[in-house]
Amino acid sequence: MNKPVLEIENLKTCFDTRDGMVTAVDGVSLKVNQGECLGIVGESGSGKSVTFASVMGLVKKPGFIAEGEIRFEGRNLVGLDANEYRNLRGKEIAMTMQDALTALNPAYTVSDQIIEALLEHDETLTGSKRQKFRQARDKAVEMMDLVGIPAAKSRLDDYPHQFSGGMRQRIMIAIALACRPTLLIADEPTTALDVTIQAQVLELIADIQDKLGMSVVLITHDLGVVAEFCDRVIVMYAGQVVESGPTREVIDNPQHPYTQGLLNSIPRLSDLKHRIEPIMGTVPDLIQLSPQCRFLGRCTQSTEACSSSVDMREIGEGRGVRCTLVSPAGEAE
Amino acid sequence: MTDLLEIEGLVKHYDARRGIIGKLTGNPGLLVQAVNGVNLKIKQGSTLGLIGESGCGKSTLGRAILRLHEPTKGKVSFDGTDITTLDADAMKIMRQKMQIIFQDPYASLNPRKTVREIIGQPLKIHKQATGSELDDRVADLMKKVGLNTNQMNRYPHQFSGGQRQRIGIARALILNPKFVVCDEPVSALDVSIQAQIIELLANLKQELGLTYLFISHDISVIGYVSERIAVMYLGKIVEEGDTETILNSPQHPYTQALLSSVPRVTKSDTGKERIRLTGDLPSAVDLPNGCKFHTRCSHAMDKCRTIEPTFQVTEGTHFVSCHLVEEQT
Repeated sequence: MNKPVLEIENLKTCFDTRDGMVTAVDGVSLKVNQGECLGIVGESGSGKSVTFASVMGLVKKPGFIAEGEIRFEGRNLVGLDANEYRNLRGKEIAMTMQDALTALNPAYTVSDQIIEALLEHDETLTGSKRQKFRQARDKAVEMMDLVGIPAAKSRLDDYPHQFSGGMRQRIMIAIALACRPTLLIADEPTTALDVTIQAQVLELIADIQDKLGMSVVLITHDLGVVAEFCDRVIVMYAGQVVESGPTREVIDNPQHPYTQGLLNSIPRLSDLKHRIEPIMGTVPDLIQLSPQCRFLGRCTQSTEACSSSVDMREIGEGRGVRCTLVSPAGEAE
Repeated sequence: MTDLLEIEGLVKHYDARRGIIGKLTGNPGLLVQAVNGVNLKIKQGSTLGLIGESGCGKSTLGRAILRLHEPTKGKVSFDGTDITTLDADAMKIMRQKMQIIFQDPYASLNPRKTVREIIGQPLKIHKQATGSELDDRVADLMKKVGLNTNQMNRYPHQFSGGQRQRIGIARALILNPKFVVCDEPVSALDVSIQAQIIELLANLKQELGLTYLFISHDISVIGYVSERIAVMYLGKIVEEGDTETILNSPQHPYTQALLSSVPRVTKSDTGKERIRLTGDLPSAVDLPNGCKFHTRCSHAMDKCRTIEPTFQVTEGTHFVSCHLVEEQT
């Protein structure tokens, strides 16, 4: 069960812009095990979306992968050509985008968009072109049922604008899941949705994950979502992983000042007296980065040691922190 | 404490008939009933949190109160004056006391004006200050909202989202208003920045004795900033009460579902059985009969489909609009 499906090692993705080189992802290493749900938390600009755009081969000029390896089921994805990627995307790794309205093509019906993925990748379809299309159409209805779209059959030939936000997100999930991928990357699947709909969509993803035994990467900025739905969590800040570990351990006992700050920034419904403590300042500019700890300017616990570069420190089974305040496991304080 | 703002039977309908022919033929029916009879009171110096899903009419309500969108029907009394009957000149004077902070810090600031011009604009419009006096007042307020005064001549695009929201707050406060509508002021911001702005708004309220109508879809933010909470669904308030009452013992099935849908971080909060709401918000053009919530309510009875529940007082100042509560009392 603990076989890694996706392994990212020391990934560095840069964008060569007019203002200078932006290192959006700087040395990210992580792995996603089979059947687990991994949460990626970070604020805008932390590099969480770019990391997985790199996995999907979606980083376009002026962006490029400068260093590192991305292994999917043992196979390195960096440098794969367009055709090889085409066979992989949608079939073995699928991604849902944050904004379902812009991600769906407004000029095609939703059935067209689900069937397209099936005709492209599904090898179980047999017979003539016409027969394949029939089967794909039946499967599309099946998928729309699976993601909980009422009266799926009659809505098959509707256009994206005829659906509500929550329903559109479900259609994107249906397209992503149509070919039963091994790995689903969900980029902020619920950010644009209301809480009652958010709960529906997240439960749907968890449900399907159980049924199909796939792995899920949930990219979000909402620690509440992570706490309820993810097995492990990775916290990113300014292009780096700053903390990782099993969800409950990270949330109950955060070690990195940034993770602590994030948790203290959220108002708690169960404890209204609890005053929130904002993290002061803003995210550093990713163009002129010095080797020091990236959180240095905003950290309240910084010491002299923080002005040199800080590596990820292992502090337990699958638990890492990038901070000078913690000492690695096995070493005395 | 006295009520600073009193809203009675406020209605805002938008005519959604398309084109001139639709209007000439007078085909009725296509009315978007965004706000459908709202009664609210806001006490001087307090914060009323208004919560609801997108499309429930909460922003429209905020704007109709300020007459940024002219109300279709109803009365808004501010400090004892019915502002819905005021003419344009009198309303302009009244606006000095009632301001708004918008959701989107990118769209709500003019990109071609400097920060000095943006924050100083209300002073010019109301002829309160010019020249160096204006600069002084702008600088003074910039300090208060945590902006660096030597950035006065910069343009909005040179600021981050959180800083822009601070500019928007400064613009709203420069005329020393009494009442501010905060329309989702933190929804577009990252968590750590969101906390900074929430704290800033809370401090300014204390310091300047402000009264807020705080609109948000995030119940944890609303719970944190408000003394009272009103829950809105399809143009109506379905429940209103003190923050602790609403959060700890919500009576309306919609409030209960809303609260249980929020993903929680703390352990004690997780693991509770979630009340699942099925389906989406019905369209505001074609409202359901009876209770507006009956299409998604798991407790719906026959009565709910035909008779609209009225506002009931359960205890003291806790109002609920639901047949279930009526039956118990």
